[in-house]
Amino acid sequence: MAGLAKLAWVFLKIGLIFFGGGYVLIPLLHRLMVDQYKWLTLREFMDGLALSQLTPGPIAILATFTGFRAGGFWGGLIATFFIFLPCTALMLFISSHYDKFRKMKLFRGTLDGVLPAVVGLVAAAAWNLGTSSLVGARDFMLLAVGFLILQFTRISPMFVILGAGAIGYFFRFT
Amino acid sequence: MAVVSLTERYCVRDRKWLTIDEFLHGLAFSQILGPFSLNICTFVGYYLRGVIGGIIASVAFIFPSFCLISLLTWLYFRFHELSQLESALKGTNPVVIGIILVAVVSMRKSSVKGINGWVMALIAFAGAAFFSISSLTILMLAALWSFARAYYLREND
Repeated sequence: MAGLAKLAWVFLKIGLIFFGGGYVLIPLLHRLMVDQYKWLTLREFMDGLALSQLTPGPIAILATFTGFRAGGFWGGLIATFFIFLPCTALMLFISSHYDKFRKMKLFRGTLDGVLPAVVGLVAAAAWNLGTSSLVGARDFMLLAVGFLILQFTRISPMFVILGAGAIGYFFRFT
Repeated sequence: MAVVSLTERYCVRDRKWLTIDEFLHGLAFSQILGPFSLNICTFVGYYLRGVIGGIIASVAFIFPSFCLISLLTWLYFRFHELSQLESALKGTNPVVIGIILVAVVSMRKSSVKGINGWVMALIAFAGAAFFSISSLTILMLAALWSFARAYYLREND
């Protein structure tokens, strides 16, 4: 179990750097939770990602899963609070200075400019997780089918995850 | 993104709490830090009732997911050694990677444009995938580069 103060500090830091939507959290959390602090194994991290897709919330709800693992219920609560604190505070600040921010071209230009790097990082996360966790033709088939369903139909990820879980269960994946 | 279109339908079209333009500005700000869905809720809450409204909207948005994931997490760590559950989760693993890839494709469409964008995306990918450079380092370098670029474009406009 990690100290709650340490959890708070780690998740506050993560909260300060997740630009460009939630997905950049995947490489960040993978690195920190699995490689650096070893609060989760790679399996647990992947399973946590699957579970986070069963909620309507953002993928950042993965923080709750990780915090829970590291420090029980309170760990989950603290991780959730601190990861969302910076973005909520910033959003309130921006909303209250709405007109000024709308005119700051340099600021917007910089932020938009970072987005391609975010895309590259998220793609790299898929690569890193895929090469370390996918084995055999079966997994690649599931990956391809899942991708096609999500890309070309409007079926929610929640049902795709549940369906994949049912396939694993009935065919007794080992 | 489903949450964003739901918010748009409810707050803009049905309730007319704010106009579509205001909503779109809020959406643009939402992309700076953190998840869009949470940020757009904070924005609408602030717009309607000030700071307290923003805080209430964001807490209320996260709360159901927080409860659900806490329950699932508890169940998971209690029962994940059961072989049936383990099989089910093995099935979900490749699909999770599919979900990440779908996100990459849609983000690519909306934010990687021109040679500069492609080069940045490829360098970031290669750095993180093949040279294990940390995401934070890559983000910081990208921010420096894009600030310099935005500054240059402004001065030479």
